[in-house]
Amino acid sequence: MTAFALAWRTARRYRARAVLAVVGVAVIGALNFDMLMLSHGLLISFADLVNSTGYDIRIAGTAGLPLARQPIDNAAALMTQIRALPEVASVAMLRTATAAAIRPDGPPEGVELMGSSDAAGLGLWRSLTGSNLDIAEGDPSLAPAVIARPMADRLKLAPGSTFSIRVRLSGSLSAMPAIPLRVVGIADFPFESQGAFVVATTMDGFRRANGGVLSDQAELMFAQSRPASGPDAAVAAIGKLRSDLRVFSNEQVIANFGKNAFTYFRQISVVLSTTTAGFSFLLVATLLTVSVNQRLGEVAALRALGIARRKIAATLLWEAALLVGIGGLCALPLGEVLALVLDRILRRMPGLPAGLHFFVFEPQSLLLHASVLIATAVVAAIYPVWLAVKLPIAQTLRQEVVS
Amino acid sequence: MFLVVLTLIAGPALAVAAPAAPDILVSRQLLAKAHLAIGDVVTLAGDPSGARARQFRVAGVYEPTPDPMKFNVERIEARLHLDDLLGLTADPADPASADTVSTINVALSDSPDPSRETSFSRSLSARSPFIFATPTRDSENTTFLVVDRFHTAIAAVTVIGSTAFLLALMVIRAEERKETVGVLRLIGISRKTIMTEVVVEGLLVAVAGAAFGVLIAAGAQHTVNRFFQARYDTALIFMRVSPAIAMRSIAVAVPVGVVAGAVASWMLLRRGTSALVRR
Repeated sequence: MTAFALAWRTARRYRARAVLAVVGVAVIGALNFDMLMLSHGLLISFADLVNSTGYDIRIAGTAGLPLARQPIDNAAALMTQIRALPEVASVAMLRTATAAAIRPDGPPEGVELMGSSDAAGLGLWRSLTGSNLDIAEGDPSLAPAVIARPMADRLKLAPGSTFSIRVRLSGSLSAMPAIPLRVVGIADFPFESQGAFVVATTMDGFRRANGGVLSDQAELMFAQSRPASGPDAAVAAIGKLRSDLRVFSNEQVIANFGKNAFTYFRQISVVLSTTTAGFSFLLVATLLTVSVNQRLGEVAALRALGIARRKIAATLLWEAALLVGIGGLCALPLGEVLALVLDRILRRMPGLPAGLHFFVFEPQSLLLHASVLIATAVVAAIYPVWLAVKLPIAQTLRQEVVS
Repeated sequence: MFLVVLTLIAGPALAVAAPAAPDILVSRQLLAKAHLAIGDVVTLAGDPSGARARQFRVAGVYEPTPDPMKFNVERIEARLHLDDLLGLTADPADPASADTVSTINVALSDSPDPSRETSFSRSLSARSPFIFATPTRDSENTTFLVVDRFHTAIAAVTVIGSTAFLLALMVIRAEERKETVGVLRLIGISRKTIMTEVVVEGLLVAVAGAAFGVLIAAGAQHTVNRFFQARYDTALIFMRVSPAIAMRSIAVAVPVGVVAGAVASWMLLRRGTSALVRR
């Protein structure tokens, strides 16, 4: 009989404890797997989000705080300059303002108004129904608008319907007249928080919402580098144009995010994955040790029958591998379900972009999870194996008979 | 309240400073980063280009109030008298700018009605179209409620894993004493008494484990706080083992112990006495 067969029979004989050990390893393994996914999940998710926009360079002003940069001045001239650079394939600008959607049957609803020079949306929204801002149909006197799904649901708006919006001027005691917009599309805005009311319109629509007068500024600019030049050369070329610009490639934005944002969750994931690995080790080591202590007579009898120490050790290793292996396999689907629950909890954080996820599966997490479990099984089996192979056969058998 | 981004044009310039330079307080982090000392005179401007800069005297240093929302942000801050700040940032072309503030904090008089803040802010927003009023209590709590729920969910999963662990141990212990229990049954000890003994044992192991866990956590909290406080340069407390939390973990351990003991004793006693004593 092979060592594996012997281990399998032992597990079947002590079925209850084996099942409980597998359940324990599966639950703790699921948590461990989730913490491994959490450690890189945000970064992967953010990278997916940033890279899905179709632009690989972001340009902001230098003034202001990192999360509240002041707009770029002389934006139109800068657009022209950037467009003329040989390293740049395309450039677009984004303007934002806080506004209120006027409801005929209730108080105004606060919305974020975006003006985009790219009718396809700069990658800031993903169309669900209707079209983008470049649609030619409908009343041309009304500016087109793509609105967020929660807003469409709440205000019962659909492509073809119209609504009015009034821009709020920050720091000024003035009120803009409300202007009507026609809804051309409903979209998800992955960079905005879940449930946020967002309205995206053309730069012309944005100007109209601001009373027809718009300062020559932009909150953010996006550029696409030419494949021959690459984003780094384009970043350097744009940075040389003016000193009041902060120019980042997508890679730099992601690297900055990795350094600064949500580091707490990454650290907590390291702490918890270490703790859960330790817990799994304790669980398996304790169960195997107690189990071997209980079966000392049985082990001594096997040794007396001529079964080699190596085979006894291999049997115990297989026992540990069976408990940890089956538990670890069960941990994968359990971990996926748990990750969905935990992700749903964390994504309720206010202001979190809707497209951002904390738990993202990647092969590296699976590899690390498997490595942790293999190490757990091996380390947990060391002491029970040592107990079994060092067993004095005659003395143990005598004690067993006397007891 | 007026929050604005200022530019520190020059560091210490004590020698020929204007005698009437108004006082400012700087954060500990700014003091260290800009190599300032109390009494130094610094030049601040509201404009990145340094236009309309003014000199101020560093009158003191303060530790920024620990703010969980800013714990990974470097607190490079200075506090000015409101008049000084408005003088520094007001736009000469806009007479209203010197009479503009970003935020006004309002403290309502004590009242047992918890919805009062919401109704006040709604009423103020409705009456004043340029004002956005929101209760600070709600806005501050949401993030921490989410983090609290996340940690509670993890704790729940850990409790499930621990229950399986304890249950397995109790089953092994029960198996180990199979013959002893058989003999006890043969001499007339009732199932109820034996079951109670196993349940109490499970309870004791669970409560002792929880108490030990609380002791480890209490010992670890100092290390955890020191690590994160040094990592983020903040006085914020990240981990605190309060009596309520300690009691809660012990309270969770009680049903875990009872369930583990009950299941283990059931697995033992479901067999007949003869099966228990048979080798």
